[in-house]
Amino acid sequence: MRKNQWRVAVMFLAPYGILFGIFILLPVLYGFFISLHKWHILAPRPEFIGLRNYKLALADDLFRIAFVRTLFFVAMVVPVGNALSLLLAVGLNQNYRGTTFYKVAFYMPVVMSVAVIAILWTWIYSAEFGLLNYYLSQAAAFGHNLAPSVFPATLKPQWLNSPATAMPAIALMSIWWGAGGNMLIYFAGLKNIPRELLEAAEMDGATPWRRFWTVSWPLLRPTTLFCLVMSVIASFQVFGQTYILTGGGPYYSTLTIILYMYQQGFGLYQLGYASAVGYLLFAALLVFTLIQFKLLAVKQ
Amino acid sequence: MKCKGRKTRPPFRHVAAQGVMFLAAMILLAPIIWMFSTSLKPDEQILTATPRWLPNPVSFVHFNRLFTQAEDFPVARWLFNSAFISSTVTVLALSITSMAAYAFSRLRFKGRDVLFIAVISTMMIPSQITLIPSFLIVQKLGWFNSYQGLIVPGLAGAFGVFLLRQFFLGIPVELEEAAYIDGASPAVIYWKVILPLAKPALAALAIFTFIGAWNDFVWPLIITNDISMRTLPVGIMIFQGRYVTEYGATMATAAICSIPTIIAFLIFQRRITEGIAMTGLKQ
Repeated sequence: MRKNQWRVAVMFLAPYGILFGIFILLPVLYGFFISLHKWHILAPRPEFIGLRNYKLALADDLFRIAFVRTLFFVAMVVPVGNALSLLLAVGLNQNYRGTTFYKVAFYMPVVMSVAVIAILWTWIYSAEFGLLNYYLSQAAAFGHNLAPSVFPATLKPQWLNSPATAMPAIALMSIWWGAGGNMLIYFAGLKNIPRELLEAAEMDGATPWRRFWTVSWPLLRPTTLFCLVMSVIASFQVFGQTYILTGGGPYYSTLTIILYMYQQGFGLYQLGYASAVGYLLFAALLVFTLIQFKLLAVKQ
Repeated sequence: MKCKGRKTRPPFRHVAAQGVMFLAAMILLAPIIWMFSTSLKPDEQILTATPRWLPNPVSFVHFNRLFTQAEDFPVARWLFNSAFISSTVTVLALSITSMAAYAFSRLRFKGRDVLFIAVISTMMIPSQITLIPSFLIVQKLGWFNSYQGLIVPGLAGAFGVFLLRQFFLGIPVELEEAAYIDGASPAVIYWKVILPLAKPALAALAIFTFIGAWNDFVWPLIITNDISMRTLPVGIMIFQGRYVTEYGATMATAAICSIPTIIAFLIFQRRITEGIAMTGLKQ
Protein backbone atom coordinates (compact mmCIF):
# COMPACT_ATOMS: atom_id res chain seq x y z
CA MET A 1 0.00 0.00 0.00
CA ARG A 2 0.95 3.59 -0.25
CA LYS A 3 2.93 5.28 2.41
CA ASN A 4 2.54 8.73 3.85
CA GLN A 5 2.41 11.05 0.85
CA TRP A 6 3.01 14.36 2.52
CA ARG A 7 5.57 15.60 0.00
CA VAL A 8 3.11 15.19 -2.83
CA ALA A 9 0.31 16.55 -0.69
CA VAL A 10 2.24 19.75 -0.03
CA MET A 11 2.66 20.27 -3.76
CA PHE A 12 -1.02 19.73 -4.42
CA LEU A 13 -2.15 21.87 -1.52
CA ALA A 14 0.34 24.73 -1.79
CA PRO A 15 -1.46 26.99 -4.31
CA TYR A 16 -4.79 26.66 -2.56
CA GLY A 17 -3.28 26.79 0.90
CA ILE A 18 -1.41 30.04 0.26
CA LEU A 19 -4.47 31.79 -1.15
CA PHE A 20 -6.68 30.37 1.58
CA GLY A 21 -4.29 31.65 4.22
CA ILE A 22 -4.03 35.15 2.79
CA PHE A 23 -7.58 35.77 1.62
CA ILE A 24 -9.78 33.66 3.91
CA LEU A 25 -7.99 32.95 7.18
CA LEU A 26 -5.97 36.13 7.56
CA PRO A 27 -8.96 38.47 6.97
CA VAL A 28 -10.93 36.73 9.71
CA LEU A 29 -8.15 37.23 12.27
CA TYR A 30 -7.04 40.62 10.95
CA GLY A 31 -10.64 41.87 11.01
CA PHE A 32 -10.89 41.10 14.69
CA PHE A 33 -7.56 42.84 15.29
CA ILE A 34 -8.80 45.91 13.41
CA SER A 35 -12.01 45.95 15.42
CA LEU A 36 -9.96 46.44 18.61
CA HIS A 37 -8.50 49.70 17.30
CA LYS A 38 -9.53 53.20 16.54
CA TRP A 39 -8.54 52.80 12.92
CA HIS A 40 -9.15 55.71 10.59
CA ILE A 41 -7.97 55.03 7.06
CA LEU A 42 -5.83 58.21 7.01
CA ALA A 43 -4.52 58.13 10.57
CA PRO A 44 -0.79 57.37 10.72
CA ARG A 45 -1.13 54.86 13.55
CA PRO A 46 -4.18 52.93 14.71
CA GLU A 47 -4.81 53.29 18.41
CA PHE A 48 -5.58 50.21 20.49
CA ILE A 49 -8.84 50.69 22.38
CA GLY A 50 -9.83 47.17 23.40
CA LEU A 51 -13.51 46.43 23.11
CA ARG A 52 -14.61 50.05 22.99
CA ASN A 53 -15.83 49.82 19.38
CA TYR A 54 -18.15 47.01 20.43
CA LYS A 55 -19.48 49.03 23.36
CA LEU A 56 -19.97 52.03 21.11
CA ALA A 57 -21.83 49.92 18.56
CA LEU A 58 -24.14 48.39 21.14
CA ALA A 59 -25.01 51.87 22.41
CA ASP A 60 -25.31 53.32 18.89
CA ASP A 61 -28.90 54.13 17.90
CA LEU A 62 -28.18 53.67 14.22
CA PHE A 63 -26.65 50.26 14.78
CA ARG A 64 -29.74 49.23 16.73
CA ILE A 65 -31.99 50.54 13.99
CA ALA A 66 -29.94 48.65 11.42
CA PHE A 67 -30.18 45.47 13.47
CA VAL A 68 -33.94 45.74 13.91
CA ARG A 69 -34.54 46.63 10.26
CA THR A 70 -32.36 43.70 9.17
CA LEU A 71 -34.33 41.38 11.47
CA PHE A 72 -37.53 42.69 9.89
CA PHE A 73 -36.11 41.89 6.44
CA VAL A 74 -35.04 38.39 7.53
CA ALA A 75 -38.43 37.76 9.16
CA MET A 76 -40.12 38.45 5.83
CA VAL A 77 -37.70 36.87 3.39
CA VAL A 78 -36.83 33.62 5.16
CA PRO A 79 -40.32 32.20 5.92
CA VAL A 80 -42.07 33.51 2.81
CA GLY A 81 -39.13 32.74 0.54
CA ASN A 82 -38.75 29.19 1.83
CA ALA A 83 -42.48 28.52 1.65
CA LEU A 84 -42.49 29.71 -1.94
CA SER A 85 -39.42 27.63 -2.81
CA LEU A 86 -40.99 24.53 -1.31
CA LEU A 87 -44.28 25.17 -3.09
CA LEU A 88 -42.53 25.57 -6.43
CA ALA A 89 -40.51 22.40 -5.75
CA VAL A 90 -43.68 20.43 -4.98
CA GLY A 91 -45.15 21.75 -8.23
CA LEU A 92 -42.06 20.64 -10.15
CA ASN A 93 -42.18 17.26 -8.49
CA GLN A 94 -45.62 16.49 -10.00
CA ASN A 95 -43.80 15.75 -13.27
CA TYR A 96 -46.25 17.75 -15.32
CA ARG A 97 -45.44 18.34 -18.93
CA GLY A 98 -42.93 21.15 -19.31
CA THR A 99 -41.10 20.53 -16.04
CA THR A 100 -37.83 21.72 -17.57
CA PHE A 101 -39.47 24.94 -18.72
CA TYR A 102 -40.80 25.59 -15.23
CA LYS A 103 -37.48 24.78 -13.62
CA VAL A 104 -35.70 27.20 -15.93
CA ALA A 105 -38.33 29.91 -15.48
CA PHE A 106 -38.31 29.67 -11.67
CA TYR A 107 -34.51 29.66 -11.47
CA MET A 108 -33.88 32.42 -14.03
CA PRO A 109 -33.84 35.38 -11.59
CA VAL A 110 -31.15 33.64 -9.51
CA VAL A 111 -28.54 33.90 -12.27
CA MET A 112 -28.91 37.68 -12.49
CA SER A 113 -26.72 40.20 -10.69
CA VAL A 114 -28.10 42.14 -7.75
CA ALA A 115 -27.24 45.31 -9.66
CA VAL A 116 -29.46 44.30 -12.56
CA ILE A 117 -32.42 43.25 -10.47
CA ALA A 118 -32.11 46.35 -8.30
CA ILE A 119 -32.27 48.82 -11.18
CA LEU A 120 -35.01 46.78 -12.82
CA TRP A 121 -37.16 46.84 -9.70
CA THR A 122 -36.43 50.50 -9.00
CA TRP A 123 -38.39 51.12 -12.15
CA ILE A 124 -41.08 48.53 -11.41
CA TYR A 125 -41.65 50.20 -8.03
CA SER A 126 -41.62 53.73 -9.42
CA ALA A 127 -44.78 55.48 -8.20
CA GLU A 128 -45.52 57.25 -11.48
CA PHE A 129 -43.95 55.08 -14.18
CA GLY A 130 -43.78 51.68 -12.54
CA LEU A 131 -45.42 48.51 -13.79
CA LEU A 132 -46.62 47.56 -10.33
CA ASN A 133 -48.59 50.74 -9.78
CA TYR A 134 -49.98 50.60 -13.30
CA TYR A 135 -51.59 47.20 -12.69
CA LEU A 136 -52.48 48.09 -9.12
CA SER A 137 -54.37 51.21 -10.19
CA GLN A 138 -56.07 49.25 -12.97
CA ALA A 139 -57.25 46.77 -10.36
CA ALA A 140 -58.31 49.58 -8.03
CA ALA A 141 -60.25 51.31 -10.80
CA PHE A 142 -61.97 48.06 -11.66
CA GLY A 143 -62.93 47.55 -8.02
CA HIS A 144 -63.98 51.18 -7.69
CA ASN A 145 -66.54 50.73 -10.44
CA LEU A 146 -68.07 47.82 -8.57
CA ALA A 147 -67.87 49.11 -5.01
CA PRO A 148 -66.80 52.76 -4.77
CA SER A 149 -66.83 52.74 -0.99
CA VAL A 150 -64.33 49.88 -0.73
CA PHE A 151 -61.85 50.65 -3.49
CA PRO A 152 -60.13 53.97 -4.12
CA ALA A 153 -60.30 55.37 -7.62
CA THR A 154 -56.53 55.41 -7.98
CA LEU A 155 -53.86 53.59 -6.04
CA LYS A 156 -50.26 54.68 -6.46
CA PRO A 157 -48.21 53.93 -3.34
CA GLN A 158 -44.74 55.44 -3.09
CA TRP A 159 -43.20 52.02 -2.59
CA LEU A 160 -39.57 52.98 -2.07
CA ASN A 161 -40.16 56.49 -0.74
CA SER A 162 -42.31 55.62 2.22
CA PRO A 163 -40.82 54.16 5.42
CA ALA A 164 -43.73 51.76 5.83
CA THR A 165 -43.42 50.09 2.44
CA ALA A 166 -39.75 50.41 1.48
CA MET A 167 -38.48 47.36 3.38
CA PRO A 168 -41.40 45.08 2.43
CA ALA A 169 -40.86 46.12 -1.20
CA ILE A 170 -37.17 45.21 -0.98
CA ALA A 171 -38.10 41.92 0.71
CA LEU A 172 -40.58 41.07 -2.06
CA MET A 173 -37.92 41.71 -4.68
CA SER A 174 -35.41 39.58 -2.77
CA ILE A 175 -37.88 36.72 -2.51
CA TRP A 176 -38.43 36.90 -6.26
CA TRP A 177 -34.69 36.95 -6.83
CA GLY A 178 -33.80 34.02 -4.58
CA ALA A 179 -36.75 31.62 -4.54
CA GLY A 180 -35.39 29.49 -7.36
CA GLY A 181 -32.18 28.63 -5.51
CA ASN A 182 -33.79 26.91 -2.54
CA MET A 183 -36.43 25.49 -4.86
CA LEU A 184 -33.80 23.31 -6.52
CA ILE A 185 -32.57 22.05 -3.14
CA TYR A 186 -36.10 21.24 -1.97
CA PHE A 187 -36.73 19.60 -5.33
CA ALA A 188 -33.67 17.39 -4.91
CA GLY A 189 -34.88 16.56 -1.39
CA LEU A 190 -38.33 15.58 -2.66
CA LYS A 191 -36.80 13.41 -5.37
CA ASN A 192 -34.88 11.56 -2.67
CA ILE A 193 -37.96 10.46 -0.78
CA PRO A 194 -38.45 6.73 -1.32
CA ARG A 195 -41.28 6.13 -3.75
CA GLU A 196 -42.46 3.05 -1.83
CA LEU A 197 -43.35 5.14 1.20
CA LEU A 198 -45.52 7.49 -0.83
CA GLU A 199 -47.14 4.59 -2.68
CA ALA A 200 -47.84 2.75 0.55
CA ALA A 201 -49.52 5.87 1.94
CA GLU A 202 -51.54 6.18 -1.24
CA MET A 203 -52.68 2.54 -0.99
CA ASP A 204 -53.90 3.30 2.50
CA GLY A 205 -56.04 6.03 1.03
CA ALA A 206 -54.06 9.06 2.18
CA THR A 207 -54.91 12.21 0.25
CA PRO A 208 -52.05 14.04 -1.49
CA TRP A 209 -52.28 16.72 1.20
CA ARG A 210 -51.93 14.13 3.95
CA ARG A 211 -49.18 12.24 2.10
CA PHE A 212 -47.20 15.44 1.95
CA TRP A 213 -47.52 16.25 5.66
CA THR A 214 -47.06 12.74 7.02
CA VAL A 215 -44.43 11.36 4.63
CA SER A 216 -42.62 14.04 2.64
CA TRP A 217 -42.44 16.84 5.18
CA PRO A 218 -40.80 14.84 8.02
CA LEU A 219 -38.30 13.29 5.61
CA LEU A 220 -37.49 16.71 4.18
CA ARG A 221 -36.39 17.95 7.58
CA PRO A 222 -32.62 17.93 6.91
CA THR A 223 -33.23 19.76 3.63
CA THR A 224 -35.45 22.31 5.34
CA LEU A 225 -32.86 22.88 8.04
CA PHE A 226 -30.14 23.35 5.43
CA CYS A 227 -32.23 25.83 3.42
CA LEU A 228 -33.34 27.79 6.47
CA VAL A 229 -29.84 28.09 7.89
CA MET A 230 -28.40 29.15 4.55
CA SER A 231 -31.13 31.69 3.89
CA VAL A 232 -30.89 33.20 7.37
CA ILE A 233 -27.14 33.64 6.91
CA ALA A 234 -27.59 35.11 3.44
CA SER A 235 -30.45 37.46 4.29
CA PHE A 236 -28.75 38.87 7.36
CA GLN A 237 -26.00 40.01 5.00
CA VAL A 238 -28.35 41.87 2.67
CA PHE A 239 -26.43 44.74 1.08
CA GLY A 240 -26.75 45.27 -2.68
CA GLN A 241 -30.53 45.60 -2.62
CA THR A 242 -30.68 48.30 0.06
CA TYR A 243 -27.53 50.02 -1.20
CA ILE A 244 -28.88 50.47 -4.72
CA LEU A 245 -32.64 50.78 -4.21
CA THR A 246 -32.81 53.12 -1.24
CA GLY A 247 -29.35 53.73 0.22
CA GLY A 248 -30.86 52.92 3.61
CA GLY A 249 -33.70 55.45 3.49
CA PRO A 250 -36.27 56.80 3.81
CA TYR A 251 -35.66 57.70 7.46
CA TYR A 252 -33.31 54.72 7.93
CA SER A 253 -36.20 52.34 7.31
CA THR A 254 -34.03 50.16 5.04
CA LEU A 255 -30.71 50.62 6.82
CA THR A 256 -29.29 47.10 7.09
CA ILE A 257 -26.28 45.95 9.08
CA ILE A 258 -23.85 45.40 6.20
CA LEU A 259 -24.98 48.66 4.61
CA TYR A 260 -24.24 50.43 7.90
CA MET A 261 -20.88 48.68 8.06
CA TYR A 262 -20.17 49.84 4.51
CA GLN A 263 -21.17 53.42 5.29
CA GLN A 264 -18.99 53.50 8.39
CA GLY A 265 -16.04 51.78 6.73
CA PHE A 266 -15.97 53.14 3.20
CA GLY A 267 -17.99 56.32 3.68
CA LEU A 268 -16.59 57.65 6.96
CA TYR A 269 -13.40 55.53 6.93
CA GLN A 270 -13.98 54.32 10.50
CA LEU A 271 -12.50 50.91 9.76
CA GLY A 272 -12.17 49.80 13.38
CA TYR A 273 -15.76 50.63 14.18
CA ALA A 274 -17.03 49.09 10.95
CA SER A 275 -15.14 45.86 11.66
CA ALA A 276 -16.73 45.67 15.10
CA VAL A 277 -20.15 46.00 13.45
CA GLY A 278 -19.24 43.09 11.18
CA TYR A 279 -18.17 40.92 14.08
CA LEU A 280 -21.32 41.68 16.03
CA LEU A 281 -23.28 40.45 13.02
CA PHE A 282 -21.12 37.35 12.95
CA ALA A 283 -21.88 36.68 16.62
CA ALA A 284 -25.61 37.20 16.03
CA LEU A 285 -25.50 34.77 13.11
CA LEU A 286 -23.79 32.12 15.20
CA VAL A 287 -26.55 32.42 17.80
CA PHE A 288 -29.31 32.22 15.19
CA THR A 289 -27.71 29.22 13.51
CA LEU A 290 -27.41 27.39 16.82
CA ILE A 291 -31.04 28.14 17.66
CA GLN A 292 -32.15 26.73 14.34
CA PHE A 293 -30.11 23.59 14.83
CA LYS A 294 -31.62 23.12 18.29
CA LEU A 295 -35.15 23.62 17.04
CA LEU A 296 -34.96 21.67 13.83
CA ALA A 297 -32.13 19.18 14.03
CA VAL A 298 -33.13 15.62 13.32
CA LYS A 299 -33.15 13.61 16.51
CA GLN A 300 -30.86 10.66 16.19
CA MET B 1 -65.84 6.91 -5.62
CA LYS B 2 -62.76 6.55 -3.50
CA CYS B 3 -61.56 3.51 -5.39
CA LYS B 4 -60.44 5.25 -8.54
CA GLY B 5 -57.11 4.03 -9.85
CA ARG B 6 -54.15 6.32 -10.16
CA LYS B 7 -54.47 6.76 -13.90
CA THR B 8 -58.13 7.80 -13.93
CA ARG B 9 -58.02 10.55 -11.33
CA PRO B 10 -60.30 13.47 -12.11
CA PRO B 11 -58.11 15.75 -14.18
CA PHE B 12 -59.45 19.02 -12.83
CA ARG B 13 -57.01 19.25 -9.95
CA HIS B 14 -54.09 18.71 -12.31
CA VAL B 15 -55.32 21.20 -14.84
CA ALA B 16 -55.73 23.78 -12.10
CA ALA B 17 -52.30 23.02 -10.66
CA GLN B 18 -50.69 23.36 -14.06
CA GLY B 19 -52.51 26.64 -14.56
CA VAL B 20 -51.10 27.92 -11.28
CA MET B 21 -47.61 26.76 -12.23
CA PHE B 22 -47.86 28.52 -15.57
CA LEU B 23 -49.06 31.69 -13.90
CA ALA B 24 -46.20 31.52 -11.38
CA ALA B 25 -43.69 31.08 -14.20
CA MET B 26 -45.11 34.07 -16.05
CA ILE B 27 -45.03 36.27 -12.93
CA LEU B 28 -41.45 35.27 -12.16
CA LEU B 29 -40.38 35.88 -15.75
CA ALA B 30 -42.31 39.14 -16.23
CA PRO B 31 -39.62 41.51 -14.89
CA ILE B 32 -36.97 39.81 -17.04
CA ILE B 33 -39.15 39.94 -20.14
CA TRP B 34 -39.85 43.59 -19.37
CA MET B 35 -36.13 44.33 -19.17
CA PHE B 36 -35.31 42.73 -22.53
CA SER B 37 -38.38 44.13 -24.21
CA THR B 38 -37.63 47.68 -23.04
CA SER B 39 -34.03 47.47 -24.19
CA LEU B 40 -35.30 46.71 -27.69
CA LYS B 41 -37.96 49.44 -27.88
CA PRO B 42 -37.66 52.72 -29.73
CA ASP B 43 -37.80 55.63 -27.27
CA GLU B 44 -41.42 56.56 -27.86
CA GLN B 45 -42.65 53.07 -26.91
CA ILE B 46 -41.00 52.95 -23.50
CA LEU B 47 -43.19 55.16 -21.33
CA THR B 48 -46.65 54.63 -22.72
CA ALA B 49 -50.00 55.04 -20.98
CA THR B 50 -50.53 51.29 -21.24
CA PRO B 51 -47.41 49.15 -20.84
CA ARG B 52 -46.30 47.58 -24.13
CA TRP B 53 -44.91 44.14 -23.59
CA LEU B 54 -43.46 43.74 -27.06
CA PRO B 55 -41.40 46.23 -29.02
CA ASN B 56 -42.71 46.97 -32.47
CA PRO B 57 -40.52 47.36 -34.44
CA VAL B 58 -37.54 45.87 -32.64
CA SER B 59 -34.87 48.55 -32.35
CA PHE B 60 -31.22 48.25 -31.41
CA VAL B 61 -30.79 51.97 -31.01
CA HIS B 62 -29.99 51.78 -27.27
CA PHE B 63 -27.33 49.13 -27.74
CA ASN B 64 -25.81 51.14 -30.56
CA ARG B 65 -25.76 54.28 -28.49
CA LEU B 66 -24.18 52.49 -25.55
CA PHE B 67 -21.22 51.27 -27.51
CA THR B 68 -20.69 54.35 -29.63
CA GLN B 69 -21.78 57.48 -27.81
CA ALA B 70 -21.35 57.15 -24.09
CA GLU B 71 -17.69 58.12 -23.65
CA ASP B 72 -17.92 58.68 -19.91
CA PHE B 73 -19.50 55.25 -19.61
CA PRO B 74 -17.13 52.72 -21.19
CA VAL B 75 -19.66 49.89 -21.42
CA ALA B 76 -17.45 47.96 -23.85
CA ARG B 77 -14.58 48.15 -21.37
CA TRP B 78 -16.83 47.00 -18.52
CA LEU B 79 -17.98 44.11 -20.65
CA PHE B 80 -14.38 43.18 -21.35
CA ASN B 81 -13.46 43.46 -17.66
CA SER B 82 -16.36 41.27 -16.58
CA ALA B 83 -15.63 38.65 -19.22
CA PHE B 84 -11.89 38.61 -18.56
CA ILE B 85 -12.22 38.50 -14.78
CA SER B 86 -14.92 35.84 -14.65
CA SER B 87 -13.20 33.52 -17.13
CA THR B 88 -9.84 33.89 -15.41
CA VAL B 89 -11.37 33.29 -12.00
CA THR B 90 -13.15 30.20 -13.33
CA VAL B 91 -10.06 28.63 -14.90
CA LEU B 92 -7.74 29.39 -11.99
CA ALA B 93 -10.20 28.50 -9.24
CA LEU B 94 -10.98 25.17 -10.88
CA SER B 95 -7.30 24.28 -11.22
CA ILE B 96 -6.40 25.26 -7.68
CA THR B 97 -9.42 23.81 -5.92
CA SER B 98 -9.34 20.54 -7.86
CA MET B 99 -5.72 20.03 -6.81
CA ALA B 100 -6.61 20.68 -3.18
CA ALA B 101 -9.66 18.44 -3.43
CA TYR B 102 -7.49 15.69 -4.87
CA ALA B 103 -5.09 15.92 -1.94
CA PHE B 104 -7.98 15.90 0.53
CA SER B 105 -9.70 12.92 -1.06
CA ARG B 106 -6.90 10.70 -2.35
CA LEU B 107 -3.53 11.39 -0.79
CA ARG B 108 -2.58 10.06 2.62
CA PHE B 109 -0.86 12.39 4.99
CA LYS B 110 -1.04 13.27 8.63
CA GLY B 111 -3.65 15.80 9.67
CA ARG B 112 -5.52 15.54 6.39
CA ASP B 113 -9.01 15.38 7.83
CA VAL B 114 -8.39 18.03 10.46
CA LEU B 115 -7.10 20.35 7.78
CA PHE B 116 -10.09 19.64 5.58
CA ILE B 117 -12.55 20.36 8.37
CA ALA B 118 -10.72 23.61 9.10
CA VAL B 119 -11.10 24.60 5.45
CA ILE B 120 -14.79 23.79 5.10
CA SER B 121 -15.69 25.32 8.43
CA THR B 122 -14.83 28.69 6.88
CA MET B 123 -17.87 28.20 4.65
CA MET B 124 -19.92 29.20 7.70
CA ILE B 125 -18.20 32.57 7.99
CA PRO B 126 -20.39 35.25 6.43
CA SER B 127 -18.33 36.61 3.56
CA GLN B 128 -19.35 40.23 4.00
CA ILE B 129 -17.88 40.60 7.47
CA THR B 130 -14.35 40.23 6.16
CA LEU B 131 -14.73 42.97 3.54
CA ILE B 132 -12.72 45.53 5.49
CA PRO B 133 -9.68 43.37 6.33
CA SER B 134 -9.67 41.93 2.79
CA PHE B 135 -9.76 45.44 1.42
CA LEU B 136 -6.78 46.48 3.58
CA ILE B 137 -4.79 43.35 2.65
CA VAL B 138 -5.36 43.89 -1.07
CA GLN B 139 -4.49 47.54 -0.71
CA LYS B 140 -1.23 46.66 1.06
CA LEU B 141 -0.37 44.30 -1.77
CA GLY B 142 -0.74 47.32 -4.09
CA TRP B 143 -3.63 45.68 -5.93
CA PHE B 144 -6.22 48.41 -5.59
CA ASN B 145 -7.77 49.14 -9.02
CA SER B 146 -6.04 46.15 -10.59
CA TYR B 147 -7.05 42.89 -12.21
CA GLN B 148 -5.09 40.95 -9.59
CA GLY B 149 -7.15 42.61 -6.89
CA LEU B 150 -10.36 41.68 -8.67
CA ILE B 151 -9.32 38.10 -9.44
CA VAL B 152 -7.03 36.59 -6.83
CA PRO B 153 -9.01 37.04 -3.58
CA GLY B 154 -11.93 35.16 -5.12
CA LEU B 155 -9.98 32.00 -5.86
CA ALA B 156 -9.78 30.40 -2.44
CA GLY B 157 -13.42 29.71 -1.62
CA ALA B 158 -13.96 26.52 0.35
CA PHE B 159 -17.14 25.58 -1.50
CA GLY B 160 -15.29 24.29 -4.58
CA VAL B 161 -12.97 22.12 -2.51
CA PHE B 162 -15.94 20.69 -0.66
CA LEU B 163 -17.92 19.94 -3.84
CA LEU B 164 -15.01 18.37 -5.74
CA ARG B 165 -13.73 16.30 -2.83
CA GLN B 166 -17.22 14.92 -2.41
CA PHE B 167 -17.25 13.91 -6.07
CA PHE B 168 -13.70 12.52 -6.10
CA LEU B 169 -14.56 10.27 -3.15
CA GLY B 170 -17.23 8.66 -5.31
CA ILE B 171 -14.73 7.65 -8.01
CA PRO B 172 -13.76 3.98 -7.53
CA VAL B 173 -10.28 3.64 -6.04
CA GLU B 174 -9.57 0.57 -8.21
CA LEU B 175 -9.22 2.74 -11.32
CA GLU B 176 -6.54 4.71 -9.60
CA GLU B 177 -4.80 1.70 -8.05
CA ALA B 178 -4.40 0.16 -11.51
CA ALA B 179 -2.65 3.28 -12.78
CA TYR B 180 -0.60 3.40 -9.60
CA ILE B 181 0.63 -0.15 -10.06
CA ASP B 182 1.57 0.71 -13.65
CA GLY B 183 3.92 3.27 -12.12
CA ALA B 184 1.90 6.46 -12.60
CA SER B 185 2.68 9.30 -10.21
CA PRO B 186 -0.07 11.10 -8.27
CA ALA B 187 0.24 14.05 -10.65
CA VAL B 188 -0.42 11.78 -13.63
CA ILE B 189 -3.30 10.07 -11.87
CA TYR B 190 -4.85 13.43 -11.00
CA TRP B 191 -4.55 14.64 -14.57
CA LYS B 192 -5.30 11.46 -16.51
CA VAL B 193 -7.68 9.55 -14.26
CA ILE B 194 -9.43 11.81 -11.79
CA LEU B 195 -10.06 14.99 -13.79
CA PRO B 196 -11.56 13.24 -16.84
CA LEU B 197 -13.89 11.22 -14.60
CA ALA B 198 -14.91 14.29 -12.65
CA LYS B 199 -16.12 16.26 -15.66
CA PRO B 200 -19.73 16.60 -14.46
CA ALA B 201 -18.66 18.05 -11.11
CA LEU B 202 -16.04 20.29 -12.73
CA ALA B 203 -18.60 21.57 -15.22
CA ALA B 204 -21.11 22.34 -12.47
CA LEU B 205 -18.47 24.12 -10.41
CA ALA B 206 -17.24 26.03 -13.47
CA ILE B 207 -20.72 27.40 -14.12
CA PHE B 208 -21.32 28.34 -10.49
CA THR B 209 -17.94 30.05 -10.34
CA PHE B 210 -18.44 31.92 -13.59
CA ILE B 211 -21.92 33.15 -12.72
CA GLY B 212 -20.82 34.08 -9.20
CA ALA B 213 -17.79 36.03 -10.43
CA TRP B 214 -19.75 37.72 -13.21
CA ASN B 215 -22.49 38.86 -10.85
CA ASP B 216 -20.30 39.86 -7.93
CA PHE B 217 -21.14 43.36 -6.83
CA VAL B 218 -19.63 44.22 -3.46
CA TRP B 219 -15.99 43.30 -4.06
CA PRO B 220 -15.54 45.18 -7.37
CA LEU B 221 -17.42 48.09 -5.80
CA ILE B 222 -14.91 48.53 -2.99
CA ILE B 223 -11.69 47.42 -4.67
CA THR B 224 -11.91 49.73 -7.72
CA ASN B 225 -12.70 53.39 -8.17
CA ASP B 226 -11.25 53.97 -11.61
CA ILE B 227 -14.13 54.04 -14.11
CA SER B 228 -12.19 51.86 -16.55
CA MET B 229 -11.60 49.14 -13.94
CA ARG B 230 -15.27 48.71 -13.06
CA THR B 231 -17.17 45.58 -13.96
CA LEU B 232 -20.62 45.55 -15.54
CA PRO B 233 -22.70 45.20 -12.36
CA VAL B 234 -20.97 48.16 -10.72
CA GLY B 235 -20.95 50.06 -14.01
CA ILE B 236 -24.68 49.67 -14.41
CA MET B 237 -25.27 51.19 -11.02
CA ILE B 238 -23.11 54.21 -11.90
CA PHE B 239 -24.87 54.46 -15.22
CA GLN B 240 -28.30 54.38 -13.66
CA GLY B 241 -27.29 57.00 -11.11
CA ARG B 242 -26.60 59.37 -13.99
CA TYR B 243 -29.42 58.49 -16.37
CA VAL B 244 -32.24 57.71 -13.96
CA THR B 245 -34.98 58.23 -16.51
CA GLU B 246 -33.18 56.87 -19.57
CA TYR B 247 -34.95 53.58 -19.22
CA GLY B 248 -34.03 52.32 -22.68
CA ALA B 249 -30.31 52.77 -22.17
CA THR B 250 -30.37 51.48 -18.60
CA MET B 251 -32.29 48.37 -19.57
CA ALA B 252 -29.88 47.80 -22.45
CA THR B 253 -26.91 47.76 -20.04
CA ALA B 254 -28.87 45.50 -17.71
CA ALA B 255 -29.57 43.18 -20.64
CA ILE B 256 -25.89 43.12 -21.63
CA CYS B 257 -25.02 42.23 -18.05
CA SER B 258 -27.60 39.44 -17.90
CA ILE B 259 -27.25 37.78 -21.29
CA PRO B 260 -24.02 35.84 -20.59
CA THR B 261 -25.24 34.31 -17.34
CA ILE B 262 -28.66 33.54 -18.76
CA ILE B 263 -27.12 31.84 -21.80
CA ALA B 264 -24.67 29.90 -19.63
CA PHE B 265 -27.60 28.84 -17.49
CA LEU B 266 -29.77 27.80 -20.44
CA ILE B 267 -27.00 25.74 -22.01
CA PHE B 268 -25.93 24.06 -18.80
CA GLN B 269 -29.18 24.06 -16.84
CA ARG B 270 -29.06 20.31 -16.30
CA ARG B 271 -25.54 20.49 -14.90
CA ILE B 272 -26.55 23.37 -12.62
CA THR B 273 -29.60 21.63 -11.24
CA GLU B 274 -27.65 18.42 -10.70
CA GLY B 275 -24.79 20.33 -9.11
CA ILE B 276 -27.15 21.95 -6.63
CA ALA B 277 -28.64 18.57 -5.83
CA MET B 278 -25.09 17.34 -5.12
CA THR B 279 -24.37 20.12 -2.65
CA GLY B 280 -27.72 20.29 -0.90
CA LEU B 281 -28.03 16.63 0.00
CA LYS B 282 -24.61 15.76 1.25
CA GLN B 283 -25.00 18.16 4.12
